[in-house]
Amino acid sequence: MDTRFLQGNEAVALAALQAGIQFYAGYPITPATEIMELLAEEPARNPRFAYLHFEDEIASINAIVGASLAGAKAMTATSGPGFSLMQEGIGLAHMTRAPIVIVDVQRVGPSTGMPTLPSQGDVMQARYGSHGDFYPIAFSPNSVEEAYAQTIISFNAAEESLSPVVLLMDGYIGHLYEAIDLDAVNIPPVPRSRPPFGQGRRHFTGLLSRDDVPDTKDSAYYREWYAGYKKEIQIVADKYALFETVPNDKSNTIIISYGITSRIVRELGDAYAYFRPIRIWPSLDREIIEACQGHKKVVVIEMNDGQYGGEIERILKRESVSIPVIGGDLSLSQIVATMREKKVYKA
Amino acid sequence: MYQEELKEYLRFSRWPTMWCPGCGLGIMQRVIAEAMKESNLDHTNTTIISGIGCTGRTAGYFNFDSIHGLHGRAVCLAEGVKAVRPDLNVVVVSGDGDIFGIGGNHLLHSSRRNANLKVIVNVNDIYGLTGGQMSPCTPKGVKTVTSPQGSPYDPFNAQGLITSNAHYFYARSSVWHQPHLKKCIKEMMSWHGFALLEVRDYCIENNGRRLGFKNPHEMLMQIKETYKIKSDLQPGQQLAQNELGIMTR
Repeated sequence: MDTRFLQGNEAVALAALQAGIQFYAGYPITPATEIMELLAEEPARNPRFAYLHFEDEIASINAIVGASLAGAKAMTATSGPGFSLMQEGIGLAHMTRAPIVIVDVQRVGPSTGMPTLPSQGDVMQARYGSHGDFYPIAFSPNSVEEAYAQTIISFNAAEESLSPVVLLMDGYIGHLYEAIDLDAVNIPPVPRSRPPFGQGRRHFTGLLSRDDVPDTKDSAYYREWYAGYKKEIQIVADKYALFETVPNDKSNTIIISYGITSRIVRELGDAYAYFRPIRIWPSLDREIIEACQGHKKVVVIEMNDGQYGGEIERILKRESVSIPVIGGDLSLSQIVATMREKKVYKA
Repeated sequence: MYQEELKEYLRFSRWPTMWCPGCGLGIMQRVIAEAMKESNLDHTNTTIISGIGCTGRTAGYFNFDSIHGLHGRAVCLAEGVKAVRPDLNVVVVSGDGDIFGIGGNHLLHSSRRNANLKVIVNVNDIYGLTGGQMSPCTPKGVKTVTSPQGSPYDPFNAQGLITSNAHYFYARSSVWHQPHLKKCIKEMMSWHGFALLEVRDYCIENNGRRLGFKNPHEMLMQIKETYKIKSDLQPGQQLAQNELGIMTR
């Protein structure tokens, strides 16, 4: 037993160390800063861990891509404004197949928004934020323990898929304190899959390339490359098809929610079935279709204006009821009021 | 013959390069490779990082582990590489638009942090790859496709920026002054800390022709006539605009 009373952000930092992080690059931002502050103390204890406080998030993401390609496990953590700045670098990591972890502790946007209040407004940005087509893996924890476990899983999935993985936290989980037993989370770290720099003559480029040589005019080759890349990521994502489901044959309504919202939503009681995607991207299409079978109404409750709800409708090919919880004040009474208004509340 | 001598350094399987005939980038690349060879830098102890642009393609022409990253982000990407592999010589080769323009903030801070990087900037006064737009180094008054009335601004002063730091290595050379260029590269490679070398170059296809130059040779001759090597630089003294030299502190 190694029971600790930890904040979500602290759990992420400890989990990164457990996963074998060798490099952290970052820029302070509310509500993610504690991750950086904790890791800033680490180089003094561990000479094999490097840490750099950069001038901005653009530098941070590019530095971890460089460190990753050179052979180190690397991570950065940020919130919405920084996550926006990182999008081009995330695309570079997809193109160069750089395994990195990006933690986004979401806050209310757009722009500077409401920095200290939580949100789930970056869900679609995590999927589609960078330009062009790409196929990211992302996880959404709903507790401090899950933040710890899924940080390690994110490192492992990144290493196995050779792609950037996003841990979609929110300001609530990031600052929530809970007692967790670190020993109970037994996820062995996956070793580095690429040899380090200085042994070969490899060329990594953001251009489409074939055998280390840019090949930017062959459309058929692009399609072949994209299909292969997507398949490789899907195979790894399938290993981590994490979700939680509470079936209820007696209810005509299923509630889909994720992250901290799912914990508040469970207070609604036994009148509903529940489904919670933990691997939020790529979406768990088969599992969601299966869970929603036999339920007339599908209600999606999330701390944004219906972002994942649209995705659920795409998957199910039918209408859902969106209960947006926006503005950062997550409360059961507000959820109940909106559910009553939309006639999906069961007293 | 030089192909045989430099095959460990340059990836000749990718020849011809994508650079235009007569471009100075080929000269710079060969001199870098020669300087590396003479300094015992090779694929086991060195990596090349580039950004985007004509010069940005340099990383891919080196026969080393190398990265061709995003526009403007070569320096910070390289700092990430250096952080986890302090044993490697991390060399950045990119253009003036990439390093001084879009990447200016990273240059400012990496040089302030005195990150142990060797940054070689090819200065051709123009965005060549995109067709000849005004760059941070376009001289005042020079017409480009995005400054049809002539650039209204003074060019970027890299010497001023770099030498404002507590510790620095700043050098300026040109693709005409090749022995001097090689000397600058070799000296910067042995410098411990952030080192920046500006290599004065030209772009015939997307700048020179518009300015009335008939061929790359004319542009090379203009560099030869404009720039003079300053070897007796006193401490605290700055290089004049037409002088080449090395300044350290």
